[in-house]
Amino acid sequence: MPFDQAFALSSVLLATMAFSGLVLAQSVPFWLALPMVIILMISALHAGGVHFIRRAIARVTVSPTMWNILLIGAFALLLIDLTVVSRDLLPAGIHFLVVLLAVKLLTLQQRRDYRHLYAISLMAILASAALTSDAWYVPIFLLYLITAVWTLLLYHMTQETGDTAVGHQTIPIRITRHFFWLTNGTVVLAIALTLAIFFLIPRMGAGVLQKTSGEALRATGFSDRVDLGTIGSVKQDPQIVMRVELPDQPAVDKDRLYLRGLAYDQYNGQSWTHSGTRRRSLSLVAEGTFLVRPAGSRSSNSLSGSVRQDIMLETLDTAVLFAAPFAELVSGEFLEMQADAMGGLRLPASPASRIRYSVISQAPQLAADERMASALDYPDAILAHYLQVPMASQHVADLARRVSIEATTPFERTLAIQQHLLKNYSYSLEADTATLSHPLDEFLFTRKTGYCEHYATAMVVMLRTVGIPARLVTGFLATEWNEYGGYFTVRQRDAHAWVEVYFPHSGWITMDPTPTVSTAISTSRWAPLTRFGESVRLQWDRLFVRYSVKDQLAVVHGVREGTDALRERVSRGVSLLSAPIGQTLSRLMHMVRTFHLGMLELITGVIVVGSALFLLMLRDRIALWATTHLPTSHPELAIVQLYARMLRMMERHGVRKSPAATASEFARLVEQEWKAAAPIVANVTALYHQGRFSQTPLTPGELSRAAEQVGQLQSFTHVVR
Amino acid sequence: MKHLPLNLRATPAVSFIRGMFRRRSIHFTPEGTRFLLFTLGIGLAAINTGNNLFYLLLAMMLSFIVISGLLSEHCLRRLEFHRHVPDLIMANEPTLLTLSVTNRNKHLPSFSLRLLDVVEGKDIDRGLAIHLLPPQSSVLLSYPLLATKRGWIRFEGIGAQTLFPFGLFRKIGRYSTEARLLVSPPIKPLTLRFVDELFSEGQGESLSRRGDGTQLYNLRLYHPGDDSRAIHWMTTARTSQLIVRETEAEDQRRITVILSVVAPEEGGPLFERSVTFVASLLWQLTERAYPVQLIVGSEDSGFGSGPAHLLAMLRLLALCERQWPEADGVGNDREHSPFNNEGERGYTVAVLPWSNQAAATNAVQADRVLNAAQLEELTHAF
Repeated sequence: MPFDQAFALSSVLLATMAFSGLVLAQSVPFWLALPMVIILMISALHAGGVHFIRRAIARVTVSPTMWNILLIGAFALLLIDLTVVSRDLLPAGIHFLVVLLAVKLLTLQQRRDYRHLYAISLMAILASAALTSDAWYVPIFLLYLITAVWTLLLYHMTQETGDTAVGHQTIPIRITRHFFWLTNGTVVLAIALTLAIFFLIPRMGAGVLQKTSGEALRATGFSDRVDLGTIGSVKQDPQIVMRVELPDQPAVDKDRLYLRGLAYDQYNGQSWTHSGTRRRSLSLVAEGTFLVRPAGSRSSNSLSGSVRQDIMLETLDTAVLFAAPFAELVSGEFLEMQADAMGGLRLPASPASRIRYSVISQAPQLAADERMASALDYPDAILAHYLQVPMASQHVADLARRVSIEATTPFERTLAIQQHLLKNYSYSLEADTATLSHPLDEFLFTRKTGYCEHYATAMVVMLRTVGIPARLVTGFLATEWNEYGGYFTVRQRDAHAWVEVYFPHSGWITMDPTPTVSTAISTSRWAPLTRFGESVRLQWDRLFVRYSVKDQLAVVHGVREGTDALRERVSRGVSLLSAPIGQTLSRLMHMVRTFHLGMLELITGVIVVGSALFLLMLRDRIALWATTHLPTSHPELAIVQLYARMLRMMERHGVRKSPAATASEFARLVEQEWKAAAPIVANVTALYHQGRFSQTPLTPGELSRAAEQVGQLQSFTHVVR
Repeated sequence: MKHLPLNLRATPAVSFIRGMFRRRSIHFTPEGTRFLLFTLGIGLAAINTGNNLFYLLLAMMLSFIVISGLLSEHCLRRLEFHRHVPDLIMANEPTLLTLSVTNRNKHLPSFSLRLLDVVEGKDIDRGLAIHLLPPQSSVLLSYPLLATKRGWIRFEGIGAQTLFPFGLFRKIGRYSTEARLLVSPPIKPLTLRFVDELFSEGQGESLSRRGDGTQLYNLRLYHPGDDSRAIHWMTTARTSQLIVRETEAEDQRRITVILSVVAPEEGGPLFERSVTFVASLLWQLTERAYPVQLIVGSEDSGFGSGPAHLLAMLRLLALCERQWPEADGVGNDREHSPFNNEGERGYTVAVLPWSNQAAATNAVQADRVLNAAQLEELTHAF
């Protein structure tokens, strides 16, 4: 492709990439995007050399005055947009940018116009960066970078070819294979450098003007009052709410994870509420780390192992934080955190943007003695709060007694009620009970279908009627494991309600009466691809969008730890290497380590420097070997390189070839100056003559002979020295 | 065993260090300035907002700047320059100089090179450009040079500038290729009347010498290589030995041109014109095969003829420098007495760009003295 054509095409592509960024950021209305797309297509066809487009455009002549009037008109539109339509600088400015881009694309004639186009494109890609933090920005940015490198190179090269200076070596007017790969190499270098600079550049931003990541998601079921049936409205919503990583846990063991939100203790027959609204501020144990005191009584011997979770929570319209039951420590960039009496975690206000926090939780396990105990001694405070049932629950109480009549212990009664619900009721999202006066009775006795809220409410009420304290918990049940990113994807449809049953020594034990529904998770053949894309998005968000000075410090610490590990490894390697030499050296090393830690580094340094010097000494041998053995695109140059090497050796010995002397004259000079080397020089000179000036190229054998002779000369010079 | 010379310059380490510290200078192009302003703007926006995507764009733009530095350095590294200059050129005569440029890089070409002559610390653009120099290849460039004044031109080196790859910065690398070029005064046409007068006056100072002609100068024994047509047969028959005849040169006049280098500052332009006049006169005399001698100040070329002798005399003229007159108004080259007509100088022409009357009368003994007024008249058209 000719340079000029490639240049015009890459310029249009650059504008296209910038415009795509704006479109994907959903900042360009359709009425503006459509003509712009048409203009881009026409410009691309024009730049691509489509004749009828070129002819058509050549016929249309618009004077510069007209374009200037158009620009003034665009500016007037900006003012109207700013004051009447958008009433916001950013959208109005973006509309103005798009109009400018269109005008410039239609008036690309002089080099100045191209420069203006690049500046507008840069502003557009900047605007799209301001508008989004989504992962689609990755391909757009990469394509923009690639196109920018090509465009800037071609801009420069076309300027050079068009230069009127006395050129003595013309550039090929078409893109050659070499130029193509050179430019692509530059692209790779640019990407590598961009990433390096991005991660290394000091973060000084306070983020005071940082834009929030869009409108907050509406979260259902996490307010102070939850009407029965409200969760059903979101059970089809696939929007992602959070991503949960389990850094310390093997991924394969995690097929489901309960993420606790809020717990409710009062049920009035239609909705659940908290009895106590008092919240306490959590105490800080370290910078950004809060200690959550265990909610309820738990004996230390009944706790299972801790579970650490790294949670990235999308912007929700609730201040509730989610974690696996029960949170012990919470770390994040929060100034304050609160907890209610039932272990629900909250921020002082709903976060304005996506947040990231880590939680260490410890889930209680039911103690064996409580599993077998026929009666449990509940504290009065628990009985006062967690045995409340609505007035009209007699049918429910009868059902509970009937179901658990054969059970002899509270735990067996609990299991019996759970099994009853699991076996005799079917899961359905169509059971809308929000408007009913007795939704629980409707679920248990009439419809016998429902979803998590109905099951959980039924179990809590039934347990309470048989004297077992229980409460309802809302949160999310994560089941969608992303094997590419190693995390759970939690969506709106994963909103869930379950039950916590109280045991005096074990504490609150999580139980779920809702049958497992596998249809919630997509099982299409595209699911792995979707999960992969999801993982890319998470990595993008973590590595780029959320990259902060803390991450930089973490990288520095990582590098330091890596260096320490490497040093340790080197030390071990040195020990291993020194073993064959003898125990003396080992003892010495031990003494060195004992008496002076710095000596270890010194010895390592000496070995490294020694190895480097050894390689330096062998460099001539290595280079000689490489000349004859490594494949090269110019095999005929091998003898020239050997001859040049020989000249350098002779020069080191004091026999210098003057520029005016021919190779034969030099050989005669060597004969006079250094007789011992004369036969070697004569042989190499003869081969040099043959290889360089005759029509018969040297055979590999002859070349090897020449290399051998030069090697001999090298040894000879070393001996003489 | 031979003792090795300690040649530090040739060691690779020293070459490497020298290469590292080779002089470079960087200037912004207008595009580069705008690019930098955009970069600063995005940097401020990134710091102000803390938006990492702004940092990403900033990193991209900074990477372009770094790449510009790396690739332009690559273009300028391992370039070798060799300048080929003639021994002597004439002022105001365009002369072709050649410059050989070699890219010693093994793999990558050099792009967009523009070469500058570094003369007396200044970069002079001769319009030399190399758009593409493949690896391990050379190119021979030539360019016209018009020297405007006589004397040495000292080429200190070559400056190679490149805008590659993005045209953001103009990086200049300087390479030492010292060379000197001697510029002689220009040759101007003289008035025919003056030249004819000069030659007719000089006839009386002629001395006989062998050369081309018809009159007998001498008879001598034949030497191998002599022209057989010159054998004098009558004498040969008489003496029984091959005798050849030598002829007397028809043009036998010897001329000495004396140039006084004493002149005050205000006489500088006339002095320069006088130097040009002498050069032109010498050229005329050489054209007519006169044995000529030039005396410039205390420098003496000796007698000679032919182009080689003319070049030697032009070198003298190229390097002669004006001297200040002494306090008594007499030239300080009096003691060397080039103006005293000693020995056989033949016809003598003295060129005095400046002299007071007394000094001229006392010091100069020449057949023809050209004083300032005459020189003004003779050189007014130069």
